[in-house]
Amino acid sequence: MPTLTIDGQQVTVSKGATIMQAAEALGIYIPRYCYHPGLRVAGSCRMCLVEIEKAPKLDIACYRQAAEGMVVHTTTEPVKLARQSILEFLLSNHPLDCPVCDQSGECDLQNFYMEFGLYQSRFLENKIKRRKAFPIGRHVMLDNERCILCSRCVRFCEEVSRSHELGIVNRGDRSEIALREGSQLDNEYSGNVIDICPVGALTEREFRFQCRVWYLNRAASVCPGCSRGCNIELHYNVNRPHQSGGKRVLRLKPRFNAEVNKWWMCDEGRYGFEFIDAPSRLQDFEIRTAQRTVVASREQAVQTLSDWIGDSIDRHGSQSLGIFLSPKLSNEDLYGIGKFARHVGIDCLDFRNPSERPGYQDDFLIQADKNPNTRGCLELGLYRRSEDSGGWMAGEIQRGKVRVLIVFLQDLALAPEFQQVLGRLERLVFVGSNRNGTAEIASLVVPSATYAEKDGSFTNFEGRAQRFERAVVPLGSAVAEADLVASVAVSFGMQREEFERERLLSDLRREYPFFDQEALNPPELEWVYQTPIGQERL
Amino acid sequence: MSRPKDAMNRLRDPEALSFWQRTYVPEILRGLKLTAAHFFRNLLIHIFHLAGLWKDRRGAETVQYPEEVRGYSPRLRSLHRLTKRDDGSPRCVACMMCETICPARCIYIVATEHPDPNIEKRPASFDIDLGKCVFCGFCVEVCPEDAIRMDTHILNFAAYSRQEMVWDINRLLSNEPQRVEGIGEIRKVK
Amino acid sequence: MLEWAVAAGKVAFSLFVLLNFVMVLTWAERKQSALMQDRIGANRASILGFTLLGLFHPIADAIKMVTKEDFVPQGASRALHTLAPFIALFFALISFAVIPLGDELAVGGCTISLQVIDLNVGILYVFAAMSLGVYGFVLAGWASGNNFSLLGALRASSQMISYEITIGATVVGLIMVFGTASLQTLVRRQGDLLLGFLPGWGVFYQPLGFLLFTTAAMAETKRAPFDLPEGESEIIGYFTEYSGIKFGMFLMTDFTETVVMAGLVVTLFFGGWQFPYLQPDGFHFPGAAVVSISPLAVSIAQVMTFLVKLAVFCWLFLLVRWTFPRFRYDQLMRLGWQMMLPLSILNVLVTGALLLLLHR
Ligand code: SF4
Ligand code: SF4
Ligand code: SF4
Ligand code: SF4
Ligand code: FES
Repeated sequence: MPTLTIDGQQVTVSKGATIMQAAEALGIYIPRYCYHPGLRVAGSCRMCLVEIEKAPKLDIACYRQAAEGMVVHTTTEPVKLARQSILEFLLSNHPLDCPVCDQSGECDLQNFYMEFGLYQSRFLENKIKRRKAFPIGRHVMLDNERCILCSRCVRFCEEVSRSHELGIVNRGDRSEIALREGSQLDNEYSGNVIDICPVGALTEREFRFQCRVWYLNRAASVCPGCSRGCNIELHYNVNRPHQSGGKRVLRLKPRFNAEVNKWWMCDEGRYGFEFIDAPSRLQDFEIRTAQRTVVASREQAVQTLSDWIGDSIDRHGSQSLGIFLSPKLSNEDLYGIGKFARHVGIDCLDFRNPSERPGYQDDFLIQADKNPNTRGCLELGLYRRSEDSGGWMAGEIQRGKVRVLIVFLQDLALAPEFQQVLGRLERLVFVGSNRNGTAEIASLVVPSATYAEKDGSFTNFEGRAQRFERAVVPLGSAVAEADLVASVAVSFGMQREEFERERLLSDLRREYPFFDQEALNPPELEWVYQTPIGQERL
Repeated sequence: MSRPKDAMNRLRDPEALSFWQRTYVPEILRGLKLTAAHFFRNLLIHIFHLAGLWKDRRGAETVQYPEEVRGYSPRLRSLHRLTKRDDGSPRCVACMMCETICPARCIYIVATEHPDPNIEKRPASFDIDLGKCVFCGFCVEVCPEDAIRMDTHILNFAAYSRQEMVWDINRLLSNEPQRVEGIGEIRKVK
Repeated sequence: MLEWAVAAGKVAFSLFVLLNFVMVLTWAERKQSALMQDRIGANRASILGFTLLGLFHPIADAIKMVTKEDFVPQGASRALHTLAPFIALFFALISFAVIPLGDELAVGGCTISLQVIDLNVGILYVFAAMSLGVYGFVLAGWASGNNFSLLGALRASSQMISYEITIGATVVGLIMVFGTASLQTLVRRQGDLLLGFLPGWGVFYQPLGFLLFTTAAMAETKRAPFDLPEGESEIIGYFTEYSGIKFGMFLMTDFTETVVMAGLVVTLFFGGWQFPYLQPDGFHFPGAAVVSISPLAVSIAQVMTFLVKLAVFCWLFLLVRWTFPRFRYDQLMRLGWQMMLPLSILNVLVTGALLLLLHR
């Protein structure tokens, strides 16, 4: 347990910790390019040079281990001069395409140069030309001129994805990043190299030229792509809508969580946000009769739905109502719906779509269950325990017991069990964010908000409940599911306040001790990779 | 006329006004004399002008735009133009610097891929809403590519609708720079 | 019957003179101010390419005013809001009725007085009309439903009332000198010579009265430097909530008042239609030289004399309006009550004393 002094502050760290880690513990930021906490130390960029008393020369903080009694300085003149020289060296062959570079605004080369740069260039020599802007995988673009050879991407492919596609070829000022012969960078986690690349050498093909990063706003969220529940940030553009053609959510970035996803996320999740602004989004309430479909107001739709529910209960009892939930709903929405169901006496509930098959799974992040909140549904008990799939509800409909069915998000029309029987229903209500086969035949369609458009929480497969924040406003007339239920529930003698977000959450935590978790406290945004993008001006 | 210092003292201390000044009357007459002198002098000049005489003396200090214009200064910030590469395509690389700096937020750029990876990026559309522009010239100042300039000396671009005030990339590219000559000289325009 | 026709003709003629003066004044105001300020002034309105020194601008203005939206603000009293400009303009127009344009004209055996009506209390009639006109402004400010307009109207009424007192008091001196309140008689009496060679105009009897009256008259027209009620763009005035032709009527009121006041000054202090030494049968110069002229020519000369004098005073009013900056409100009140009113009363006293001395 060595104790050392950094910039006049004492800190005790565990044995084997580096100066970089010790400084981090003190909240002192040492500039770095090659060092990444999730990767082995390479010590190649020399940006992290610090002055250690009694040492003959400057040493790199990312590699040198802390020792008892060490006295380290990170802001002295020699250190600044070293940083300046390193930057001058890095820029000797750097193209300075900042105007066209997607990284600019969140580029560590820019950021550190602003602070320590030389500004007065001493270069007369020609720069080395290399291959620019070519795709090296499904999601990643490489620009060899911009690369500073920090080797983070190479180490990522070695150590994290273990797919070994990238390497550094040639020597001296000819060295550059290259793909292994005959391969492409398309492992399941390739997007992460874009995040860890400190400069604009690796950029995102999907995000390319969509929006300058300083126009983006950020919201803390949870990936709905699978039951791992990776912590993410939603980056959305509402400042300059024309740049991205009206699309709002433009990219997802992993958010550090030591217990869940560390610094990473998979490509499937990273690019799974398209549905938020897709043309298939439902934006209007629709009431459909045999002859025609009319667009209704929210009030009309809520009235219609309440009438149908009340009418069915009056005529056939609450047994005649069925609710098919979705494991893509948040805990709060599920809890609200369950509360309402209990109030009016609906017990015909399930969420397990019989047509759903487990997907791809690996031993790192990706889970076979592609729903973010299956565990939440299970914990809330919103299914029939005696059955092992939701198919039983088709039987209830077949027997004429269930006459009105409310489906949330799921496309039941895809399940063979249901295909036959949906036509027998008196009323089919679909609540969902995007149009699908079930929405096509539903007699009432309610547009609902996606996870980017509401606050809520998901429970991952390990039982960790995690909150996500609203980034953008619901598209069109879309409503959050709990709000819809609240509007209906008031006609059945319930209070609207019972369905307010914070109230739902606190009631949920009280009623189900399982959900009373630390992780349900509001999330905090932290910028892990680059220094934060400045949004104050916008 | 009182000396300026006296005048200042009297302004500070109204009591220091002389009796006649306090009656207003002589001071008022002095004022009227001044303006009336201008009136008659200019009237005379205009009458002579009508008779075709004294053409070199101006009866009014004002420039009769648009019949007369003054030679514009090179510092003048006039209608924008987008500069061109040798092949006529815009120099602009859609870096959005101008869009970002613009205090009126009246520049709207959509970026797209340039076929040449050495250029990489180009504007798919580039609109300036001149109805909002405050002609600060920041966009010119900030452009890293010298792709936008305000040296066309075009000042009369009023339009009948807001939509027409939005200049798109083609209109901006078609503007040409104007040579600077005779700064401040009044020229008749036919 | 004939009487009626003659009366109608006189009304028409006098209105014709007045309204034309008003119209030309709107043009003159712009041109004159331009010349005083080394500018060109309005010169764009053209018919078939002729701009005629901008003389078409009053026509263009009229068309513009009439075609503009007539806006009545929410919360305003619609009827009163509409009535106000009519009241203001009406009383300004009718006060011109007692101002004589000339002496009697003898045509085909009947004599026509060149004046709409010769009231023996003519001067009081003018004051009455002016006082009633104030209602127009107060109403405008009040009916607009805008507190700032109301404040403007209050400024207008207090200013006008303050200065009307001075006007009334200065005229007393004149009435004492000439012994009549009928304007026509007043003008006739100014035809006598003073000291044998000086035209017997009011200004020579009442120089202080003239100064006070002219100043107060300018204040009555509510134009710079006395434009506090309107404060065209800085301090909000009583017609802020007016647009279109109703606003135009207020503007016309101002110009009409200018003409009326100029007419009053001419009539009271500058001999009205009197041309120096011109008697009904020709010129009588001092030293007994007589040039006789036909009565018709004399009448025409009288009318022309009056119009020229009127024009000169309108010019003078404009000159003042474009020379001096606005008073502060306390200065305005101080000037009215603490300087002009005492002076005008002093004027009455001194005049009375002198008259007593001379007639003893
Ligand atoms: S990598 Fe950074 S410094 Fe290099 S061009 Fe891109 S933004 Fe500029
Ligand atoms: S591509 Fe980026 S991450 Fe990879 S070595 Fe170059 S700079 Fe580092
Ligand atoms: S001149 Fe100023 S306001 Fe106008 S477009 Fe350029 S930056 Fe924007
Ligand atoms: S700053 Fe220049 S290069 Fe950048 S977008 Fe504007 S005009 Fe184009
Ligand atoms: S961060 Fe230490 S050498 Fe690169």
